[in-house]
Amino acid sequence: MNSRFYYDLIALAVFCAVIFLGVPALMSYDGFELNTFARYLSLAIVSMALALSWGTAGLLNLGQAATFGMGAYAMAMHLKLKVSDGLPDFMGWNNVEKLPLVWVPFESLSFTLLAGLLVPAAVGGLIAIFMFRARIAGVFVAVITLAFLVAFQLLVIEQQGFTGGQNGLTGLAPLTLAGWTVDTYSVSFYYLVAGCLTVALALGVYISHSKFGLILRAIREDADRTRFFGYNVATYQTVIFCVSAALAGWAGMLYTLVLEFASPTYMGVSFSLAIVIWCAVGGRESVLAAAVGAIIVNLLEGRLSDVFVEGWHMLLGIVFVLVVMFMPRGIYGVIVDVVRRLNEARRGGRQDSAEDALLPATIQTNRER
Amino acid sequence: MEHLQVTDLHVEFGGLRAVDGLSFDVKQGEILCLLGPNGAGKSTTLDLICGKTQPTGGSIRVNGVEVSRLLEFRRARLGIGRKFQVPSVYKELTVVENLSVARSRRPGIWHALTRLSLRPSKDVDNILELVGLTEKSQDLAGNLSHGETQWLEIAMLLAQDSRLILMDEPTAGMTIQETQRTAEIFRSLSGSHTLIVVEHDMSFVRNVADRIIVMNRGTKLAEGSIAEIETNEDVKTAYLGH
Ligand SMILES: Nc1ncnc2c1ncn2[C@@H]1O[C@H](COP(=O)(O)OP(=O)(O)OP(=O)(O)O)[C@@H](O)[C@H]1O
Ligand SMILES: [Mg+2]
Repeated sequence: MNSRFYYDLIALAVFCAVIFLGVPALMSYDGFELNTFARYLSLAIVSMALALSWGTAGLLNLGQAATFGMGAYAMAMHLKLKVSDGLPDFMGWNNVEKLPLVWVPFESLSFTLLAGLLVPAAVGGLIAIFMFRARIAGVFVAVITLAFLVAFQLLVIEQQGFTGGQNGLTGLAPLTLAGWTVDTYSVSFYYLVAGCLTVALALGVYISHSKFGLILRAIREDADRTRFFGYNVATYQTVIFCVSAALAGWAGMLYTLVLEFASPTYMGVSFSLAIVIWCAVGGRESVLAAAVGAIIVNLLEGRLSDVFVEGWHMLLGIVFVLVVMFMPRGIYGVIVDVVRRLNEARRGGRQDSAEDALLPATIQTNRER
Repeated sequence: MEHLQVTDLHVEFGGLRAVDGLSFDVKQGEILCLLGPNGAGKSTTLDLICGKTQPTGGSIRVNGVEVSRLLEFRRARLGIGRKFQVPSVYKELTVVENLSVARSRRPGIWHALTRLSLRPSKDVDNILELVGLTEKSQDLAGNLSHGETQWLEIAMLLAQDSRLILMDEPTAGMTIQETQRTAEIFRSLSGSHTLIVVEHDMSFVRNVADRIIVMNRGTKLAEGSIAEIETNEDVKTAYLGH
């Protein structure tokens, strides 16, 4: 096993200890506080999903919010049907007399969960095939995905009878999961979301360290060179796009549970850009750092937006510009640099020390001697 | 047995005929050296074979299979490997990671998803040893010197282990000793691998070439053994100018 993988596993374990043990204790197991934190954790999933496509493969997907929204709406449709007697209330107001065909299967929770993952994956995959077969790269990926996001949000708002339009889907039933009625203000719900984030992160760490992740990094740096080694670059890019979209959909489902409604603002440009900011602040090269970035920024937003009511967005924008200018690799990059400096200093001091257990992977020494 | 057959190959860049009716064959296990003055079309010929550039006419057959319409990755999977004139390695990856990418006998997505990226491998260790990069295996490729970068790309082609290897100026920037080592490595590849080597260093060519083709202005000027080429009048004119 190589050392970088080893350090990522340790970091993941520490992170899990914090969110499973530290945070609930710190909030004295208060359901209301934990609900707020569960919101941050679900946003951490969409941020780490972006790190997979943007950080690993270099594909800046500005439409991440669209796939997030698909997951959110899938869950909301299921919960809306649970609370309605046949026809959801807003459909009646919009002169829709019969339950639309697309809504029918959302009666089933299994279908809903699958759809919340697979619909975003399929849509992301379609866009990806179209883009990557044509070898579209760099800023054009951002432009196309952004255009898709805008069009998709418009469509959702327009189709009021099917989607609830501008109001979204509100007045939802609580989720019933295998006989357990989920109370979103309970400690167990918090653990559910934390568990989902852990699984997503474990998947992300595995992908990053698989040969697949290595090939994606190679493609990010030089897609043409990679083709001459026999890799079908478009397939690799498409697959990571699908995985990222599915994770975003998963995050969306959780987000609907936390907030108890789904709104077209989830598919807004400003939300999509916010995801990019979280990811950049944490560090897009690491899924874990991207997740931490989302939690930190949202935590700050929760604390500071009371103080600077209107100014928050401007503050966030300024922070983003500063991050891009002064720490382009985010918090992660800063930590990696500091640890490397420390180790270089220490190695200079006592070469033969056996106690270099905290060597990070980026240190360029061969330890397996 | 012919490994590669190039027939009446053409390519034009906005009116400039970079390759103009070129035909040649390379036998299985042979080392062919491609010579010619600057701008003769040597690199472009390799580009056409590996798929970097699309020909405007002509045919390229590898083991009898027409490849001139195939995408780059398909040609690579048919056993064509390429080293570029400007060394192209992944600067943001470490030396071993570069080799791991190059080891692509199974380039499919499923295989890549079910493997950890850096399983220790005897092959990779041997190759590192051969090109003298063992000590630097964990360095970022971007931190290597020019000569080391050349070695790394050669190592990547060894790891890729294609049957037909296209080498564009592999010894540029190398010391005399390093050039000799490269010649030895190439000789050890011949027989099991077919090589097309573009080179300007005549002593290197003398060491490795089974056969030589001299190009000028996109066409074949002369073909034969080193002795035949050195006494060829057309070649002298092309190199010395008119
Ligand atoms: N992509 C391109 N677009 C336009 N012209 C090109 C392109 N590639 C090569 N050329 C031109 O084609 C001609 C042949 O170039 P090529 O690189 O094949 O020469 P070469 O024999 O490899 O020379 P050198 O020894 O300098 O590497 C040159 O005149 C070059 O300017
Ligand atoms: Mg050239």
